[in-house]
Amino acid sequence: MTALTRPVRRLFGRAAAAPAGLDDATAAAPSVAIEQPGIAVEIPESDPLFAYLQAAPGPVDVTRLELASAALQQLRDAGVALVVPLVTQGELIGTLNLGPRLSEQEYSTDDRRLLATLAAQAAPAIRVAQLVREQAAEAAERERYEQELKVAQLIQQQFLPRELPKLAEWQVAAYYGPARVVGGDFYDFIDLGDGRIGVVVGDVTDKGVPAALVMARTHSILRAEAPRLVEPGKVLARANELLVPEMPARMFVTCLYGVLEPASGRFVFANAGHNLPYLRTDHGVRELRATGLPLGLLPDVTYEETEGEVGHGDAMLLYSDGLVEAHDPQREMYGFPRLREAMAADDADSDLLDRLLDGLHAFTGGGWEQEDDITLVSLRRAAGVAVAGWTGDRPEVALTHDATPATAGEPLLVFSIEGAIGNEREAMTRVAAAVAPLGLEGPRLERLKTAVAETVMNAIEYGSQGRADVPVDVRVDADDQAIRVQVTDRALSGPVPDAEAPDLAAKLDGRQKPRGWGLFLIRHMVDAMDVSTADGLQTVTLTLARDGR
Amino acid sequence: MTTTVDVAPAGSATILRIHGDITGASEAPLMDAYAAIPASVRSVVLDFGDLEYMNSGGIGLLVTLLVRAQRAGQRLLAIGLSEHYREILALTRLDEAIGIHDDEGAALAAASA
Repeated sequence: MTALTRPVRRLFGRAAAAPAGLDDATAAAPSVAIEQPGIAVEIPESDPLFAYLQAAPGPVDVTRLELASAALQQLRDAGVALVVPLVTQGELIGTLNLGPRLSEQEYSTDDRRLLATLAAQAAPAIRVAQLVREQAAEAAERERYEQELKVAQLIQQQFLPRELPKLAEWQVAAYYGPARVVGGDFYDFIDLGDGRIGVVVGDVTDKGVPAALVMARTHSILRAEAPRLVEPGKVLARANELLVPEMPARMFVTCLYGVLEPASGRFVFANAGHNLPYLRTDHGVRELRATGLPLGLLPDVTYEETEGEVGHGDAMLLYSDGLVEAHDPQREMYGFPRLREAMAADDADSDLLDRLLDGLHAFTGGGWEQEDDITLVSLRRAAGVAVAGWTGDRPEVALTHDATPATAGEPLLVFSIEGAIGNEREAMTRVAAAVAPLGLEGPRLERLKTAVAETVMNAIEYGSQGRADVPVDVRVDADDQAIRVQVTDRALSGPVPDAEAPDLAAKLDGRQKPRGWGLFLIRHMVDAMDVSTADGLQTVTLTLARDGR
Repeated sequence: MTTTVDVAPAGSATILRIHGDITGASEAPLMDAYAAIPASVRSVVLDFGDLEYMNSGGIGLLVTLLVRAQRAGQRLLAIGLSEHYREILALTRLDEAIGIHDDEGAALAAASA
């Protein structure tokens, strides 16, 4: 019976046949036979024969049937004389296709009755067998997936360092917490042979075995190139050059690479799109800035280097997205401000990473399923007599050194507007007024205004579907480095897909509709645009650096 | 919040003076004004000197206008654009299809050239 199920099921699944079925039918009804061992005829659901067979009271003589049906013609061409529908619970699940009787007589009434009885008894049994088989296939698929996760985890963990560097006067700590579905995080310490230490934190987009392999490859490249090239900008540029040609589609690697000179506290780093490190000094907590594209996206990328010093008593934290993007049960995100606060509370008497993880777990609550890998690396220098100081080569970094750290978490402005078309102008005006005291340069303010108006317009048109009773929320935050505007809508139209890149020529000759410039404009107006969705809300975050351009 | 467009003939060209906003909602005033231009006019100058706000919907409208003008064998020019909207027209590459000039004199000189 099992042999029968697959071909019969396939009859309606895709290209179809009932070869084994014919053998079985022959055995069950000795008076019928057919010359070929199997006949492959597909009866699509759209073919009128399908409905006819599903409703037929018994075997159907296809030589006499009058029906405009392609499948019927194929059956005749294949030499089929009689089709016995297999119907259970009103559903046609297959057919027994019989050729002419060997005796060259017509099928008798008895033959037909026997075949009808056979079909009525066989159909439910076949259906059960089909279901069992489908479930077994699903279970096998689940198992294969779990297996792949295990393999990916094994690969990934293989490349994490076995031990931490032991440096006089320094407390080095690392934490790696894998999510159940592996996220592709990695970190590494590379002995550069002259007392200096290379520090790596990275994250491969995407999951599973392919991401783990890319992580392994990145790890090997950095291990090979770091001692040779030393300078972080060159190391990342070289890694990018090697990764670009072999990177699978839609995958890339964010990575921060820095060289620490333990004796002086000098830390030089470059950044390929990874989270910026935090430095805690007596003056507060500050982000150290260096920007660059993720590895593997584009060839010929250069990476700027930022140089500074971790003073006595200071601590530096490198980390991956998994921490800041963790959510509490109400779907609120842990976020940078909390991380910054936790860093600020750091002191020499406790372990920074323990403190951060305790804080995270208190935030997420019990029963939290970790959403992404979490990687934390902290470098803390013992307190001493030397004066701590950060001397970045970017003047704005040095300038912010003595400035009061921005109060994290307190927005400049929060408001909601009705989701009615045209209200984006009001949102734009209010955001512009809120950021006015920050003294943004004229052209940059104009860009921010356009980006806010376009984002709110999208939120109104898609998220609220233009309904005044469906609000759009706007929140404006600023710290000493960037302005962030968050626009949250109710995602009534589902997530907004990435628009096709506007092409003026295509629009002019009508191949693209004239509209559809919104997302394109937004992306060009601000330094970053991020979209996140959670619990039926979609939030677009626009980030504009307060200096630059 | 509203759009008004004045039609000002200037020899072989016609100037459309735009007041207020150019958004997706400006289709009727802009297209009505364009429809009022005689077919014999070879160049249409859009004067954005009194533009308050233009968004992506407005950009789409300019594309539509550009398609119509090209079909009619007319050139489209623009004056009075702020730095910001010049940047946006450059980003969308509309500046390659719409001749952008500093003032009316320059645009009309280009139109009659």
